Amino acid sequence: MTWTDFAGLVPVLILLGGAILILMAGAYRPHYRLFILAGISIALTACGVAVFSTSAVKEVSGIFRCGPYADFFMALWSLLGALTLGISFRYGEERKFAPGEYVALVLFSCVGMSFLSMASSLVGFFLGLEMISLNFYILTVFHRQSPEAPEAGMKYLLLGAVATGFLAFGIALIFAATGTLKLPEAMSGMVAGGQIVPLGLLAIAMFLVGVGFKLSLFPFHFWTPDVYQGAPAPVTGLLASGSKGAVWAAMVPLGAGLAGGLAEIVPLLKALALLTLATGVLCALVQDNIKRLLAFSSVSHMGYVLIAFLSGGLTGERAVIFYLVTYSIVVLGSFGVLACLSTPLGEPRALSDFKGLAYRSPFLAAALTIFLFSLAGIPLTAGFIGKFHIFYSAVRAGHTWMAIAGVIASLISMGYYLRLVFLVFQPRTDSPSPLAVCQPPGNIAVAFCSVLTLVIGIFPAPLLKFVAAILSP
Amino acid sequence: MATVVFYILAILALLGTYLCVTRSNPVHAILYLVNVLFAVALMYYLLGAPLVAAWEVIVYAGAVMVLFVFIIMMLELTPDQEMSRVGWLRWGPTVLLAMVLFCTLVLFVAVDPETSRVIVDTYVAPKAFGYALFAKYPLAVQVISFHLFIAAIGAYYLGRGGGSRKRSREEGDE
Repeated sequence: MTWTDFAGLVPVLILLGGAILILMAGAYRPHYRLFILAGISIALTACGVAVFSTSAVKEVSGIFRCGPYADFFMALWSLLGALTLGISFRYGEERKFAPGEYVALVLFSCVGMSFLSMASSLVGFFLGLEMISLNFYILTVFHRQSPEAPEAGMKYLLLGAVATGFLAFGIALIFAATGTLKLPEAMSGMVAGGQIVPLGLLAIAMFLVGVGFKLSLFPFHFWTPDVYQGAPAPVTGLLASGSKGAVWAAMVPLGAGLAGGLAEIVPLLKALALLTLATGVLCALVQDNIKRLLAFSSVSHMGYVLIAFLSGGLTGERAVIFYLVTYSIVVLGSFGVLACLSTPLGEPRALSDFKGLAYRSPFLAAALTIFLFSLAGIPLTAGFIGKFHIFYSAVRAGHTWMAIAGVIASLISMGYYLRLVFLVFQPRTDSPSPLAVCQPPGNIAVAFCSVLTLVIGIFPAPLLKFVAAILSP
Repeated sequence: MATVVFYILAILALLGTYLCVTRSNPVHAILYLVNVLFAVALMYYLLGAPLVAAWEVIVYAGAVMVLFVFIIMMLELTPDQEMSRVGWLRWGPTVLLAMVLFCTLVLFVAVDPETSRVIVDTYVAPKAFGYALFAKYPLAVQVISFHLFIAAIGAYYLGRGGGSRKRSREEGDE
C-alpha cells in the first residue's frame, strides 16, 4: 500500500478525519449549531473532492475499487450525509443531542456507505456493511429520552446481529466454493456450465438472508416499521436512503459477476420481489402512523428495485442505480419534512395530524406533496422516471408479468400517498394542529431535495447518461 | 484420524451451542459457550491455522468470557434459589464436554506430527498470517479498528450515566 493508493480514498479520508476532529472538539467545547455546520461543510468538501477526483489506481488494498463508480457514490453518500445533518439542525438541538458524537456518527455512516459501494472484494463488502450497521445501532437510540427508542434499538441490534451471522456464513461458503473473495471472480466462479454449483446456491441463499435483512425484503422486513418509528426522523431518513442504497450499489457488481448464473436464481428473486411488493403496499394501506407508513412504503420500493436487479443487463443495472439515487433523495426529503414538523414534544404521528398543513406551512406542504408524488410515481417527478426505467428493464428482459405486478402495486400505493396529500390540503377546523410551524434552517435541505426531485423528473437525461457512463467500464 | 477428530469436535460444538442457548441460568450458558469456543479453536488448529486457534482461546474463551461473567455479576442475573440444588444433572454435561475436549487436546499433543502431515496443504504459519494481515490487507485492519472505535463511542454514549438519562427515569417514576 502506497501513497498513490490513498489518493483514491481522499473523500473518505476527509470524512474520517473530519469526524474524528469533531468528536475530539466535542469532548472539550460542545456547540451544537457550530458542529452541525462544520459537519455539513466537511461532508460537502468530501462530496466536491469526490466529484473532481481522478484516481490513478484502480483498486486500493485489494478490497476497494476506485474510479467513476466509486467516486459517484462517495459524492452521493457525502451529499446525503450533509443533507441529514441539515435536517437535524433544529431537531437535534431541541432534543439535546450530544453534538460531537452525533455529527461524527453521521459522517462515519457516510464512510461506511462509501466503503460498501466501493467494495471490490467480499471482505470490503462485509466491512462496509458492518460499519453502516454499527453506526445505525447507535444512531437509532441516539435520542435516549424517547420512549420508543430502546425497543427500536434492541430489535435492530439483535436481528442485525443474526443477519450479519448469515452474511458472514454466506461469504465463507462463497470462499469455500470458489477459493477467492475478489468480486467478479468469486461470483463467476460459482457458475459452472451455466449453472450455479450446489455449494454456491447455499452460499447465495445465506448471503440473501443477510442482505435481505439490510434491504428489508419480504421475510426479513419485520424490523422496519418498529425501527423507523423509534429512531429520530433524520436518522430514519439516512437509514432508509443511504444504508439501503449503498447495499444496492454493492449488489449491482455482484449481480453482474453472476451473469449467466443469475438466471437460475431469478425465480427465487421474482417470488421475493412479488411478496415484498405485496407486503409493503398492503401493509402501508392500513397504517395510521406516518413513519410506519413510510417504512412499509420503503419495503415496497425495495421490491421495485429488486425487479430491476433481477432483470440484469446494463438496462437493469442502470435502472437500479437511477432508482436508488432518486429514491434516496426523495426519502431523505420526506423524513426531513417530518423532522421540520417535529416539536420538542414529539414527531408527527397520526396521519390526521397533517390535516390543514398546507394553510400553516405552505412550503413544507408543497415539499411533502412533491415527495409523495415522487414515491407514488406521478409524472414530472423523479420517481416516475425511476419506475419507468425499472418496468422498461423488466419488459426488456422478458419479465413482463413482473412489470405488470409493479404497475398494479404502484396503483394501489396511490391509495395511501394521495390520501395523505388530500389530508394536507384539507382545511383544519376542529382542534389545533400538534405540528411545529415551519422554521428556516432545516428547510434548506428539504428545499434542496424537492428541487432535485423535480429537476431529475423533468430533465432525467443527464443523470441517466451519467449513470450509464459510470456503469460501462 | 483428522476427519474423525473433526467430527467429534463438530458434534461437541453443536451440542454445546444448543445447551448454551437453552440454559436459563446465564452462568451455565457461559460455561457451555467456553466449551464451544475451545472446540472451535481445536478445529482451527486441525485446519492448519494455529494462530487463529490461539487467538480463539486467548481472546474469546479468555477475555470475552471474563467480560461476560463480569457483566452477569454486575447485573446480578443469577437467581438466588438456583444455588441450593446444584446436582449432577446441572454440571454433568459441562464436565463431560470438557473431558472430551481435553481428551481430544491430549490426542492432538500426542500425535501432533501425524496430524500436521495430514493437513499440510492448508497449513498457514503465524508469520504468513501476519504478513497477509498487515501487508496484503492493511486497509481492512484499519477499517476494523474504526469499527471498534465506533462501537466504543456507542458504548460510551449510551452507557454514560447521570444527566439526561437519570432525569428521564425520575420523570417516568413520577
